[in-house]
Amino acid sequence: MTTTSSADIAIAATGISKRFGGALAVDDVSLQIAPGEIHSIVGENGAGKSTLMRVMAGIIESDSGSVEVFGAPVDPGTRAAIDAGIALVHQELSLVPEMTVAENILLGAFPTRFGFTRYKDLKEIAANALAEIGVSVDLDERVSRLSVALRQFVEIARAVARQPKVLILDEPTATLTPAETDYLLRMLSRLADGGMAIAYISHRIPEVFEISSNVTILRDGRQVLTSPIADLTPQEVIDNMVGRELKEDLQTHRDATPGEVVLRATDIEAPRVNSVSLEVRAGEIVGLGGLVGAGRSELVRAIIGADSRTAGRVTLTRDGRSVTLASYTSAVRNGVGYVPEERRTDGLALIMTVSDNIRLPNRQQLSRFGIKSPRRIADFAQELADKVGLRPPEIEREAGQYSGGNQQKVVLAKWLGRRPDFMVLDEPTRGVDVGAKAEIHRLVKEMADNGTAVLVVSSDLPELLELSDVIHVMRDGRITGSLTREDATEQSVMTLAAGEAEAVA
Amino acid sequence: MAQQTAPSEAETPTQSESSRLAGVLTWMSQNGIFIFTAILILFALIFVDGFGSLMNITDVFHRAAPIGIVAVGMTFVVISGNYLDLSVVAQVATSGVILIAVSNNYGLFPAILAALAAAMLFALVNGTAVGIFKANAVIVTLATTFIGLGLLRLFSGGSIFFGPPDGPVRTFGLGKIGPIPYSAIVLIIMTIVLGLILNRTNFGFLVRSFGVNESATRLGGTNTALVIIGAFLVTAVAAMIAGFVLAAFSNTAVSNDGVGYEFRALAAIIVGGTSVFGGRGSVYRTFLGVIFVSVLTNILVLSGISFGYQQVALGVLIVLAVSLDALARKVAQR
Repeated sequence: MTTTSSADIAIAATGISKRFGGALAVDDVSLQIAPGEIHSIVGENGAGKSTLMRVMAGIIESDSGSVEVFGAPVDPGTRAAIDAGIALVHQELSLVPEMTVAENILLGAFPTRFGFTRYKDLKEIAANALAEIGVSVDLDERVSRLSVALRQFVEIARAVARQPKVLILDEPTATLTPAETDYLLRMLSRLADGGMAIAYISHRIPEVFEISSNVTILRDGRQVLTSPIADLTPQEVIDNMVGRELKEDLQTHRDATPGEVVLRATDIEAPRVNSVSLEVRAGEIVGLGGLVGAGRSELVRAIIGADSRTAGRVTLTRDGRSVTLASYTSAVRNGVGYVPEERRTDGLALIMTVSDNIRLPNRQQLSRFGIKSPRRIADFAQELADKVGLRPPEIEREAGQYSGGNQQKVVLAKWLGRRPDFMVLDEPTRGVDVGAKAEIHRLVKEMADNGTAVLVVSSDLPELLELSDVIHVMRDGRITGSLTREDATEQSVMTLAAGEAEAVA
Repeated sequence: MAQQTAPSEAETPTQSESSRLAGVLTWMSQNGIFIFTAILILFALIFVDGFGSLMNITDVFHRAAPIGIVAVGMTFVVISGNYLDLSVVAQVATSGVILIAVSNNYGLFPAILAALAAAMLFALVNGTAVGIFKANAVIVTLATTFIGLGLLRLFSGGSIFFGPPDGPVRTFGLGKIGPIPYSAIVLIIMTIVLGLILNRTNFGFLVRSFGVNESATRLGGTNTALVIIGAFLVTAVAAMIAGFVLAAFSNTAVSNDGVGYEFRALAAIIVGGTSVFGGRGSVYRTFLGVIFVSVLTNILVLSGISFGYQQVALGVLIVLAVSLDALARKVAQR
């Protein structure tokens, strides 16, 4: 690497390598970002993006390579990185829910006098940071009461309050709706115009094309290419990320022939859910669209009993036999499967093996008199792991060692083993790479083709449109409209979701 | 330049970000007990006078048995992530008093039934408060210790109960095979049975799974309250048996029996390598932990070191073991 006019480069990472156990997570990657540049880093899950960013932010130490800010080398460690002007907005939100917005923004950097916090200064600095990114939130509001989107913005304000020279964002839009995403992208462009160097990690290719001037593509820890975005097409970016041609037919819709009604939910009431009724037929995929906070997750959780409902009735009918679902345990016993929104906390036991995770909901059929049958468990888990395309298909490996996409396949495998009559999937491909996403879509469609009634919650509009036979759109805890496959477009869904001229922030 | 080592598969899963250090620490906190116990016993045999004598070995077993039985049972509560059951103190005492007092008046079999009923009551109260109401296990079991001991003192009047000198309780208490007393055989059987329950049954699996991730376990279609009540029930039945063994040894029982057992049992569990964070651990390791703690105590006693130092040693041991466990977890998460 030649170090020419290093002062023009805000941040230069040179020859970064990082090995975890046997795998090279980042393999000799070099990256330079100029002041005012938005540089996107893309790649599938497990490609090494987050690791690279965490090396740059001093959170993990690289095995080799160096990081320089405006020509000055940065020592390892978060403290040194912060002092050098590098700020990281984490993928997983790292706010303290019980503290106020202002306190969170200045967490770790409270202005003090004689050891006492100067609240007046604290609020002033926090207010300035929020003003800089153009978001208005009550400074004294507790973060636990904010929407997911607002929390994300507070997180960014926290980074901006430190007046960084380099801002790193790790998938900031993963939990945001399209409108919120647009807002965030405009905010980042403004910050870049002010001279900040921005490293932007995302799975979402359109966003990358919208805001970045340069892009670096990583695959299996290696730097596939770095290029001005103008020289690439979206298809070229995806092909380079995946390293194989994505089959077009995975994007197409299947021909659904829905049977009788399997699930009937009537007048469901729960916190954030106002008297919602819906039906799902055998072999049908029903989509639930809407903005984050519209009550979709709350609705599906109330339907299956994962959270208690205050009113309403849910019946599950199969082969002419109807049962009323009273509790979550009875729902599962009667053929309900649930892929929850939060994979890492609700979907999987990360430090248990893939085999044990698959065993959990299937334990009764894998045991006799409550005593496990190790061979049956191994065969059963292996068959499902192969079926969902787990790579590598090693069922004795801990689930947490797999990438997000593979973890989600394990969650699906858990339930596929039960051949559920009614399957609920909440954001089934959030934070999942392109390849795994296509495979998960294939599995969901296959499940419906085999007669399962499927209910999908998704904030990913193309996904919702691709999977669903019918889309119900929710707003403020109600279904504001329903669209058949023929009528549904991104625009029609968003119109129903946002209501009339509802803007973010 | 960095070495170019291509990943073996096209899609190598991202290794959980654990360095070699995490591996070593985890291995140490989980398997160190095997090595440490062996070294300790070897050391004692060579350097400590009288350690290898038959009488001393019998004595070590006698002291280890009741604490060990409590510990292998309490391992279930610890693995379920609910930390510990302090009320084993009250459970051991209650069981001992019931055994002697009831069998003096009504015979052995009614005494066993009565003690079992008491154990189930403890488990139900602890398990309901913790499993259903989500109350803090430490505080709940501290409170049930008070309730249990209070009731026991009311009913027993604080008096010492003596068994008949030739009853079945006495016979059991003094019986042994070679240098191994019956009580130690009970400990071994309990270890094997509870080990099988933890490793081979769906219930044991759910206890571990709950300890790893409560939410995922519930969403896997599990009645988690039953799992917690079950874990407390295993602990309570073990404490009941420990109370029998303890009372049988001396052929007496008093409401002060079992004092300090909660702490010693916890020491054995933690030193054995069962994580207080739940999920990881085993009954067999707890057994080794019991041997380790008992041998260590015995060495200190034989060396004429005073009780005060023994207490300090036990406390230091727990701090070290718990810190190692926490450190391994922290490094593994990084």
